[in-house]
Amino acid sequence: MDISKFFSTIGEIGIKNIFFMLFTILFAIFYFFYALVISKQVRVMDKALQDKYNWLILFITSFQVTVSLILLIILILTIFFI
Amino acid sequence: MENNNKKSSAFYSYCLNPQVKFDTNEEGEKVSLLVRSHPFTQINWVLTSVLLFILIWIINPFIKNFFDLKQIFVLNLFFYVFVASYIWINVLNWYFNAGIVTNRRVIDIDFYSVIYKEITVAQLGKIEDITVKSGGFFGSYFDYGSVFIQTAGSAVNVEFINVPHPSKIAQIINRLLGKKHGYQ
Repeated sequence: MDISKFFSTIGEIGIKNIFFMLFTILFAIFYFFYALVISKQVRVMDKALQDKYNWLILFITSFQVTVSLILLIILILTIFFI
Repeated sequence: MENNNKKSSAFYSYCLNPQVKFDTNEEGEKVSLLVRSHPFTQINWVLTSVLLFILIWIINPFIKNFFDLKQIFVLNLFFYVFVASYIWINVLNWYFNAGIVTNRRVIDIDFYSVIYKEITVAQLGKIEDITVKSGGFFGSYFDYGSVFIQTAGSAVNVEFINVPHPSKIAQIINRLLGKKHGYQ
């Protein structure tokens, strides 16, 4: 990309908006990995203590991973396409 | 010991003869008691979560001047996700930090920040002393406190912190110890 075109594109979007995009995307990616780590750890804990409500805990943890993935997709769509 | 399986009090934080298993469960080992922190001791993070939910409603009118509608939507989404995760990690910490008393040993399962795991086991035969500490206005009113189980030698001591009915827990362990040593 031509350097002057690149800077004019940045100027059109605005520095504040670019920082916002970067921050939100990074946050969503981190949150997705965090949800994956929690999910893995909950599976370990499920083996350590097998109680009657563990199915609910596992379900909510899987739900959290799904939400984090949906959040990432929504963000990408919101920022780049809408 | 009476079988009051259905009797679990204080939001499932004190269960007699529960149907639970743990990873080092031995053949023929029967769980007599499962304890978790008293729900009242979780009030800090519950109140913090409520305050955070209120905070977003207070902040929203102020950030309207700095961000457009799309960005406010994204920020709100993040904030709700953050608060939900905060609640969830605290629920997990409460749920998986448990104390178990079986007919053979006393087990303390601890998960620090969900990422670190520590399981302390004390054989009934090695228990030397049981200390119950309970105090304060709320501790007395809601009947919760801590049970410290000291073992012989250099073995690690077991602690049940802020558990419901600490005196009853000590009583149950003493009864099991009595059976183990043939006093009862």
